[in-house]
Amino acid sequence: MKIRIFNIIVFLVTMGQFATAAIADDRLHIYTVNYPLQYFAQRIAGEHAEVVFPAPPAIDPAFWTPNVQTVGAYQRADLILLNGANYAKWINKVSLPRRRLVDTSTGFAENYIDAGSGAAHSHGRGATHAHAGVAFTTWLDLQQAVHQADAIRQAIIKQRPQLKVAVGKNFARLESDLLALDAELKSIVSGNQNQALLASHPVYQYLARRYGVTLHSLVWEPDEYPEPSQWKALENLAQAHAAKWMLWEGTPAAESVKQLKEMGIGSIVFDPCANLPAQGDFLSVMRNNLAALKQAF
Amino acid sequence: MINIQSLEFHYPGDGFSLAIDQFDVAQGEKVAVIGPSGSGKTTLLNLAAGIIKSERGSIAVADTQIEQLSDAQRRDFRINNIGFVFQDFELIEYLNVMDNIIHPYRITRSLQLSPSVRQRAIELAEKIGIGDKLKRYANDLSQGEKQRVAICRALLPGPKLVFADEATGNLDPRNKGRILDLLFDNVAEQGTTLLAVTHDHELLPRFDRVVDFLQFHEPDPA
Amino acid sequence: MHALFLAWQYLVFNRFRSLTMVACVTLIAVLPLSLEVLLDESERQLLARAQSTPLLLGARGSALDLVMNALYFDDEIPELISLLAVDELLATDLAEPVPLYTRFNARGFPIVGTTLDYFDFRALGMAQGRQMALLGEAVLGASVAESLGLKPGDSLLSSPETVFDLAGIYPLKMKIVGVLERSHTPDDLAVFTDVRTTWVIEGMGHGHQDVSQVTDETLIMQRTESGVVASPKLFQYNEITADNIDSFHFHGDAREYPLTAVIVIPDDTKSSTILRGRYLEEAKLNQIVLPEKVIDGLLQNIFRIKNVLDAVIVLVGSATLLALVLVFALSLRLRQRELQTIFKLGCSRATIAYLLAAEIFIIGLIAGALCVSLLYVVDGYSSDLVRSLFIN
Repeated sequence: MKIRIFNIIVFLVTMGQFATAAIADDRLHIYTVNYPLQYFAQRIAGEHAEVVFPAPPAIDPAFWTPNVQTVGAYQRADLILLNGANYAKWINKVSLPRRRLVDTSTGFAENYIDAGSGAAHSHGRGATHAHAGVAFTTWLDLQQAVHQADAIRQAIIKQRPQLKVAVGKNFARLESDLLALDAELKSIVSGNQNQALLASHPVYQYLARRYGVTLHSLVWEPDEYPEPSQWKALENLAQAHAAKWMLWEGTPAAESVKQLKEMGIGSIVFDPCANLPAQGDFLSVMRNNLAALKQAF
Repeated sequence: MINIQSLEFHYPGDGFSLAIDQFDVAQGEKVAVIGPSGSGKTTLLNLAAGIIKSERGSIAVADTQIEQLSDAQRRDFRINNIGFVFQDFELIEYLNVMDNIIHPYRITRSLQLSPSVRQRAIELAEKIGIGDKLKRYANDLSQGEKQRVAICRALLPGPKLVFADEATGNLDPRNKGRILDLLFDNVAEQGTTLLAVTHDHELLPRFDRVVDFLQFHEPDPA
Repeated sequence: MHALFLAWQYLVFNRFRSLTMVACVTLIAVLPLSLEVLLDESERQLLARAQSTPLLLGARGSALDLVMNALYFDDEIPELISLLAVDELLATDLAEPVPLYTRFNARGFPIVGTTLDYFDFRALGMAQGRQMALLGEAVLGASVAESLGLKPGDSLLSSPETVFDLAGIYPLKMKIVGVLERSHTPDDLAVFTDVRTTWVIEGMGHGHQDVSQVTDETLIMQRTESGVVASPKLFQYNEITADNIDSFHFHGDAREYPLTAVIVIPDDTKSSTILRGRYLEEAKLNQIVLPEKVIDGLLQNIFRIKNVLDAVIVLVGSATLLALVLVFALSLRLRQRELQTIFKLGCSRATIAYLLAAEIFIIGLIAGALCVSLLYVVDGYSSDLVRSLFIN
C-alpha cells in the first residue's frame, strides 16, 4: 500500500514537471523596437509571454541598428512589435517575417505629425541623423499609447486566442493607468494653457498636440554645453515666445542649467522613456515627468 | 530388320510415284541403295523412317508396322531406333560439337539426357576421332570432322538402324574411305543395320548387298 | 529447359540480330511508358506546387504567365503590379500577402525578391548558414549553390539587364549568407533575397557618401538651405556592407514599387471566396487566380498533346512490331533446313514451335528486364528531368 501511494506521488510530480515545462514552452516570444512597447506588452501578456527589447540601455532606440545576431533573434520571435511612424529606421534594411510584424500605431497613422526637414546632427558618438519626416514619439500622447497597447492586445489574442480573457483583464488595468496619466496631464496643462515651453530636442510633438502645450524645439543634447550660436538662437526664441521653461530628455549639464537660469529659463526633465529607465518603469517615469511638469504650469 | 511389301507412294502434284513389291534388309546387314537422282532413294528412307506415310503397302521396321503408327508414335520410333547421317551433315551451326552430338536428347522427351549420356557421347567422340573438338562449332570444322560429328549424333542413342543418305557425297576421296570405315566399324560393333543411299560406286564393294533402285521406280510417263 | 537452352544458344550465336530485336522491343515498350512516367511526374510536380499555393495576385492579363513566373520562376516576366496591391490586400483583412519580384537574375538563375514569410510558407529549411537578415544578403537554392560552387560567405553579382546600357540596371554584389535544404522544387534553382534588395538592384534604393559631408565640390551640383543636390559623379555603392548600410535609402513613393506577383494566403475558405469575387470586377487592374485551376487547364492541353503522341507511338510501335514479325518470319525461312533436320531426327512440330516460342520468350524477357531497368532509372531521375526539361 505504501509503495503504491509512493508510486502515485512520483507519477503526479513527474506529470507536474512536464506540465510546467509545457506551459513555459508555450509562452509567446515577443520582441519590440522600444521600451514603451515592451512595457505595454509585458503588462498585457503577463506570464504568458517573454517580451524582449534588445537594444543596449542609454541608447536612443530610434537611432539604434541591431547587429545580425539580434536581427536573427527578431526573426525567430512570435511577434515583432513596431512603433510605427518610421520609428525604427533599421526595419527597412533588414528582413523580418511580415506575418509576425505588428505596427502598433497603424490605427492612427493619418494623425502622424510632420516633423519637417530637420538639421543633421549626432548624439555624442552616435551617427549623424536628422529628425526629418514624421514625428515618432507617439506614446507621449497617452491616448495614442492606449491605442498602441490595444493593438498589442489584439495581436496577442490573434496568436493565442485562448488568452483573450486574461489578456483583456491585463489590458484593462494598463488602460486605466494610462488614461489616469492622460487625465492628470490634461489637468496640469489646463492650469496655464498659454504657457509656452521650450524643448531641448524635437521629441514632444505629440505631447504638445494632445495636451495643448505651446512648444518650441531646439536641437540640444542634455550632456553637451551648447555653442554660442545655439545660445543666441535660444535667446531669440525665448524672447519671441516668452518661454520660461525648457524640457530636457535627460538630466542636463549643470552649466547649461545655470546659464538658462540666468536667462530666466527653468529646466524640467521630461524623459520620453524610449529606453529602459535606470530605475522604475514606464509608469513611474511618466509620473515623475508629470510631477516635474507641474512647475511650468 | 526391314520388310517392305506392296508399297505404293507418290508426291501429290509432281507426277513422281514409287512402287515397291518387296524389299528386305536383314538385321546387321549393310545395304547400299544406288540409282539415278530422283529415283526415290531418299523417299524410301523417309518412308522406312516414318517421316512420310505411304498410301498403300506394309512397312515393317524392327518388327514394327510403321504405316500403322500415329505421327507421334512414328517420331518416337524413329528417334529411338533410327540414326540419320545426311549428305550435308545437317549440323546445328549455333551448337558446339558436344551439343550437336547430344542434340537428339534435347528435342524429344523419348530420350532423357543424363550425365551417363554425356559420358557416352565423350567416349564415342573420342572413338570417332573428334574427342578434342567438343567445344568447337560446326563452322570451325573440316568436312570430314563435320561428318564424324553427324555419325556420333546418329549412333549415340544406340539405334537399331542407321540410314545414311549420301553420307560421303560431300567428302574428298581420302575422307570417304575413313568415314565409311568409321561407320562400318561402329555399326558392326553394335550389330546395327545400315541402309546407305550412295552415288559412289567405288564404295559399293564394301557393302554386304547393293540394291539398284531402278527396279522399284516407275519413271514419269512425260 | 532444353528449349530455353537451345533458344539461348541460337540467340547468342546470332547476337547482332538478337540485340537488334531486343532493342526494338525495349524501345517500343519504354518510350510510351517513360513518357507516361514523365508526364505523371510533371503533372504531380506542377499540380503539387499549384495546390500548395492558395491564390496568386498579379496584373490582369495572362493567368498562365503569372502562375508560371510566380510558382516556377519562368523567364517570362508578367506585367508588373505595385506594392499598393499588397496594401489593398492587407486592408481587406482576409489574407496574408507574400510579395514576389522576379525580374532579375544572377548567372542564369532567377533572383526572387520576397520576404521571410515565403520560407515559412514553402517550409524551406536551411542546410548551411543562416537566413537573410540585412539588405543585400542572399540565400541560395540547393542546386544554385551546387552549380555555382558557392557557400555562405561568398558573394554573387546580379546580372546587368543589358551590357551596353550604362544608365540601366547595374549589378549588385549580394552576400550569400545561407543555402537552403534541397526541396526538389523550383526553389532549388533560385537565388532568394529581400524584396527591398531587388528594389536596390532596380535603382529605387541606393547608398552613397553623405552628401552633406562631401568635400570634393565636383560631386556637388547645388547646395541650398534645405539640402544638397549631388552630381551624377557621386559614386553609388554596388555592394551593401556593414559600413555603408546606413547610407542606403529609398526614393519615391514606396506604394509604387514594383512586384511581379503576390502569393495570397487567405485566412480561410470563405475569405478566399470573398477575395476571388472582389477581384473578378473588370475595373480592377489586378487579378486573383487559383493556381491549381490554371495548371489544371495547362495539363488538359498537355494531355491532349499526349493523346496525339500516344497515337503516333502506337503507329510507330505497330510498324516496329510488324517489322519484327517479318524479321522473325524471314529467320524461320532461313532455318528451314535446320527445322527439317530435327523433324527428321524425331522432333515434333509442337516441340519446334516450343523452341521458337522460347526464343521469343527470351527476347521478351531481356527486353522486359531492360525496360523495367530503364523505367526505374527514368523514375528515379524523373523529378529532376521534368524540372529541367519542362519546368525550367
